[in-house]
Amino acid sequence: MSEVLLQKLRAALVGEASEEEVVEIAEQLVNAGVDALRAVEVASAAIREIGDAFECGDLYLPDLMIAGRKMERCMAVLRPHLKVGDKSAAGGRVVLGTVSGDIHDIGKNLVGTMLTVGGFNVTDVGVNVPPLEFIKAAKEQRADVIALSALMTASLPYQREVITLLNELGLREKFFVIVGGGPVTMDFAQSIGADGWAENAASALKLCDKLMAAGAKAPLPQLMTA
Amino acid sequence: MGVDRQRLMTVLDRAHTGPVCETFDWDTRVIPQTIKKYLDRYGLQKTCDPANPINQDDGLADRFFQAGLDAAVEIGLLCLDTHRVIKFSREEILAGLDAAPAQFTLGEGKEQVTFKHRNLDDPTPPVWVSPLSIAVTEDVFLPLVEGIARVPEVDCIEGPSLETVYGHKVRAGSPLELLVGKYQAELNYEALKRAGREGMGLYAVGTSPTHYGVLGGYGVPGGYKPGRDIVLLLSPVEMKTSYELLHRLAHVYNCGDGLVYGGSWSMIGGYAGGPEGATLSCIACTLLLYTAYQAVNGASFPYDMKYMGNCGRKALWALGVVFQALSRNTHICANSVLNQTGSPATELLLWESAVGMMNLAVSGATSCTGTRSAGGKYTNFVTPLEIKFAGEVFKKCAGMSRAKANDIANKLLPRYEEQLGKAPKGQGFPECYDMKTLTPSDEWRKMYDYVKNEVIKAGMPLD
Repeated sequence: MSEVLLQKLRAALVGEASEEEVVEIAEQLVNAGVDALRAVEVASAAIREIGDAFECGDLYLPDLMIAGRKMERCMAVLRPHLKVGDKSAAGGRVVLGTVSGDIHDIGKNLVGTMLTVGGFNVTDVGVNVPPLEFIKAAKEQRADVIALSALMTASLPYQREVITLLNELGLREKFFVIVGGGPVTMDFAQSIGADGWAENAASALKLCDKLMAAGAKAPLPQLMTA
Repeated sequence: MGVDRQRLMTVLDRAHTGPVCETFDWDTRVIPQTIKKYLDRYGLQKTCDPANPINQDDGLADRFFQAGLDAAVEIGLLCLDTHRVIKFSREEILAGLDAAPAQFTLGEGKEQVTFKHRNLDDPTPPVWVSPLSIAVTEDVFLPLVEGIARVPEVDCIEGPSLETVYGHKVRAGSPLELLVGKYQAELNYEALKRAGREGMGLYAVGTSPTHYGVLGGYGVPGGYKPGRDIVLLLSPVEMKTSYELLHRLAHVYNCGDGLVYGGSWSMIGGYAGGPEGATLSCIACTLLLYTAYQAVNGASFPYDMKYMGNCGRKALWALGVVFQALSRNTHICANSVLNQTGSPATELLLWESAVGMMNLAVSGATSCTGTRSAGGKYTNFVTPLEIKFAGEVFKKCAGMSRAKANDIANKLLPRYEEQLGKAPKGQGFPECYDMKTLTPSDEWRKMYDYVKNEVIKAGMPLD
């Protein structure tokens, strides 16, 4: 029975099933007493299939985003049933958005989805987000990472501003800050005191995995990359 | 020329009364499903032919156009601020295209340039607009723009983009952006004077991530001049608009004689799908931009997400089909942007420019803006030399047959396509140019000479 349900979950995540159908199956798994960690592992493997197909060019961004949403809904059901020792399966918490003055979202959406596929709990705060709003959201979500996207050079000062505000508010140690986007170079990331820099969405996932595994505290003495 | 008030008010009304749609639903359902529907209906799936990156199938281009028109009618433009869709009927879109001019001018005096609709394989030289809005420091701006304006192939100036205004970092959406709108105009005019090319038309405003730069710089005393200079309205993907863009449009109306550039792009691998989907989306979006913004210039062009450029095979194919479809089925003055990934002082930038600009020249583009040196990633990474090279290719390939262009493309692509996505860093303007004499370094000049010689040997008429 449990194996049948687990396969149903996998099929729902990689196939055409709706978010509601995925939630229903996840609830059935919980009610059937299936180990939540096992269910998360099956779900994660399914979503990584989608991620791999996207990387190969067999699937496109909408497919990835839909799968990401389904995964978020699935995890919302399963996460409360994970035992304390299963923490690593739950991934870290990331607050993600595009900074002030910038409404470009495709890069942010791609990173957010890849992080979700990778098992992270992502709160997407949207585009054109003022620096303080990132910090508020990070506090509310008890985030591990604040991830800042920018596609416009004139928006880069707002990535710096988030770090400046964290320092001024005495919160710098609480959150890792990672940056990315078209004009965001490694040198710039270093100059503003970011903890990490990623060149693309796949690198962003590797970077977040590294940050969570490092066991270190923010701010990092040296910029981390994937 | 100006913006018609009745059409403007129609757009603003519909931005507040059109059907509601959440952005996620737009991106993951409306766009991909509608694009797929018309790709299927018109038999356009799997038509991308990477072995022949410059399309020669006119029937295919026409089918893409018809599919694009249908898609434009069904999809409309999503206003991100109101979450409502601005829709147009088929008749309105066709009327909007009809109202767009088949030719217009920018600039004044002896530097005034005429943009004309071009047919395929048209010998009429296209118009070269440079540079793109690549970030530069204040000390570099004047010598760089003077150097670019001295390039005879350049007809109009767009960028670059200023990192600072009066020594202070420009912050998008802040009063600093308002200040830089006018400041950039002043610097541009000074650079044109130093180059002896006063009167060149300008695209406004390179340093304007939001509407504030345009409000601060266009139509104000000492700023960009309506009727002579044109305002950029660049819509985000896919088929979206916003108050920020509509502010610019309303401002152009207020200026009386303002001109509008309507541009966007579609990502291969993004919301619209693969190269065929991006092609269809570009066409649909272009039709909507000309209708909604009353554009006289512009278009939507494809971009490959894999390497963030459009000089690889699939993107070249898509680019060619988009502009061929527009050329054959409208009379608009379509403009593309070529997105290179290579940097100054690398051969990659020149190879990409050779093939990409040739494609646009033979595919009916009226004008092109570029180069996107180093993919726009690094400050000060743009020089007059690659701009000269790209302009030479663009103008001298006008009138070439697409068959010949395709043959040349297939000879040149193997020289660089493996490097796409792995571009070497190269050098910035201060490193590979003498900023006083405005001459390139020997090393950079030698690369230019070498690549130019190679493309001539491949059949390009640059001699």
